[in-house]
Amino acid sequence: MVPAYKYEGWVEMNIFCVVKFVPDVDTFSYDYERHTIDRDGSVMRLNADDASAIGFALQAKKDDPHTTIEVVTMAPPSVVPLLEELLRVGVDRATLISDPLFAGSDTFATSTILSRYLSGFTYDCILTGTHALDGDTSHVPSQIAQALDLDHLNTILVIDRERFSTSFAAVEVEGEAAVTTYEIGMPAVLGLTREAAYKLPYVRYKDLHLDVSSRIGHISNRELGFSPDEVGLQGSRTKVVSTYTKVYQTRARKMVAPDEGGLEFVYGFLKTNGFV
Amino acid sequence: MKKVMLYIEDGHIQDSLDLIEVARLLYKDEKVQTYALVIHGGLPSVQGFCDVIMHLVDDRLQSFDQRGIGDVVTAVHTRYSFDAILFLATPMGRLLAPRVAMQLRTGLVADVTGIASDDEGLVVTRPAYGGKIMAGIRFTGDGPVMMSVRPAVFTHTQGQKVDSRLVLLEGLSYRYGSMRKTKTEEKKIAYDIRDSTVLISAGGGMSDMHLLGKLAALLGGEVSASRAVVDKGVLPRAMQVGQSGKTVSPKLYMALGIHGSIQHVEGLKDVQHIISVNTNRNAPMCSISDIVVEGEALPFIQRLVQRIEKGKQLCM
Repeated sequence: MVPAYKYEGWVEMNIFCVVKFVPDVDTFSYDYERHTIDRDGSVMRLNADDASAIGFALQAKKDDPHTTIEVVTMAPPSVVPLLEELLRVGVDRATLISDPLFAGSDTFATSTILSRYLSGFTYDCILTGTHALDGDTSHVPSQIAQALDLDHLNTILVIDRERFSTSFAAVEVEGEAAVTTYEIGMPAVLGLTREAAYKLPYVRYKDLHLDVSSRIGHISNRELGFSPDEVGLQGSRTKVVSTYTKVYQTRARKMVAPDEGGLEFVYGFLKTNGFV
Repeated sequence: MKKVMLYIEDGHIQDSLDLIEVARLLYKDEKVQTYALVIHGGLPSVQGFCDVIMHLVDDRLQSFDQRGIGDVVTAVHTRYSFDAILFLATPMGRLLAPRVAMQLRTGLVADVTGIASDDEGLVVTRPAYGGKIMAGIRFTGDGPVMMSVRPAVFTHTQGQKVDSRLVLLEGLSYRYGSMRKTKTEEKKIAYDIRDSTVLISAGGGMSDMHLLGKLAALLGGEVSASRAVVDKGVLPRAMQVGQSGKTVSPKLYMALGIHGSIQHVEGLKDVQHIISVNTNRNAPMCSISDIVVEGEALPFIQRLVQRIEKGKQLCM
C-alpha cells in the first residue's frame, strides 16, 4: 500500500519511456494483400500520446539532472533517425528492439518481448502513451504492467512533479465524466495522453547534427533468447486475416442548395417529422 | 455446451448485459451458458438475465483496482474454465482485459464491432488506423477467446427471464493494487450524447458553438462533435461521436461540415434521419444522408435558426 503523503524530495530516478512509431494516419498506405502497413510508403512519426510521456520525462530531468531517461521501442531499423532526434533533445539512451523473428507479433507477443527486455533493469517508472494512432488496442501498456507486476494508469493529463518519487506518484486522470487524482505506488506504468501539457522540445540549433549514434542500443533475439514459437506470427494468439474499407448503406441523399428553397425544404422536413 | 463469462461493470450494467448477445453470436449453433461476474453492485439488475451469477463481496477491492480485479477474473477462470471471457470496451474494461489475457497467455481483440464465422472458425472485426480500415481477426491460441466489445453495438433483447443461479465467490486468491483515489472533479457537461434524440454535430470548420447550441435547443436536442473539433480542443471528448468517441442513436443527426470518415460513421447506429450540410457533395457523410444541403454550414444554420424561431412565433 502507498503510505500516506510523504514527500521524499528528489532522488536519482531511472525512467524508461516505452514508445511506438506509427504511420501518419492521414497519409499512410496499407497493403491489403498482406494485411500490413506499408512502412516504406508511409511517413512514420512518434505516436502523439508517447510524445507526452517523453516530454514529461525531460521535464523531470530538468528538475533533477540525475534523472536518466531511456527510450525503448520495438520497430524496424528505419526508425533510427527518429530515435536520434529524441537523443538530440535530451534523452540519454535509446534502445531499438528489432529482429526478423519478431515480425508479425500481435499485442501479446509484443508485450512479451518488451517486458523481457525491461525485466533486465531496475527502473523507478515506466512512462508510455495511452492510445496508439494505428492499432489503438491500448493492450501493450497494461500487458507490460501485468508481466512486470506493476500498477498502471492511463489517460493521464498531469503528473504532479512535486509528488513524483521513487515510492509513489500523484497523477490526474481524464475520465469520461470526471478528472480523478490517484496516488499510485512506484514503480508503475504511467500512460499519458496527447492532451497532457508535456511537449517535446525542439532541437537546439547547435545540436542539429550532433552525433548520437553511440547512445543507440540495438537489441535482437540474440540478447532476448526467445524460441521461434514464442514470438512473431507463431507466438501470437491472434492473427489479422482480412482487411477492408467498410461500405455503408447509402440513403436518399436529396440534394438542396443553401438558398430559400433549400431552407424551406429542410424546415418542412423538420416540421413533418415532428422536430419543430 | 459453451461457457461464457461476462464481466459486469458497475455504472455500465445495461451495456454489460448486451454482452449476452455477443455470447450468443459467438456460438450460434451451440448452447451457451452465461456466467456474470458481479463485484461492485448491479446484482439485482443481472438476476434473470444470466444463467449463473458469480458474486464477490469485498469492500477492500476498489472499483478502479485493475490489478486486483484482473487477478479475480483470472482466478475465476481457473475455477470454471470458460470458452470465452467478454468485457465492455469501456476505459475500465480496456485496462482489465489485457491484464487477464496476459495472465492466461491468450489472445485478445479490442473494441470488437462485428462477429462472424467461416469454415475455419470465428472471425471478429474491429476498426483500426483511426477507423479507416476494418480488420478481421482470428484467434490462434489455445486459451479462451477474449475480447472487449464496443458498447451499444450489440443489443440483447430478453425473451423469457432465466432462472439465475447465484454463486458467492469465496476462497479466491488475489492481491490488491497500490492505487488510492484522492480527488474527483466532475466535468461540466451535464448531458450524455447517447441519451439525446436530436444531435447537432460540429465538424472541423465549425467555430460558433453558441449557434449550434441554439439550434439544438430549438429542436430539443444537444450538441455533439466530430474528432476534428475535439482534437482542436474546442469541445470535450465526452461529446465526440465515432470510433474513438461514443456510439449514438438519435432520431435526427445533423452533420455540419463533417466529412464522415469510417471512424465517425462507426459511431452512428440506427439513426432515423440524417441531414448533412457540406460544401463537398461527395463527402462520405453525404452518401448516408437523407438530405444534403450543399454549402457552408454556418450561414445556413443561422438562417435555419431564424426560420424555426419565426415559425414558432407564428404559432403563438
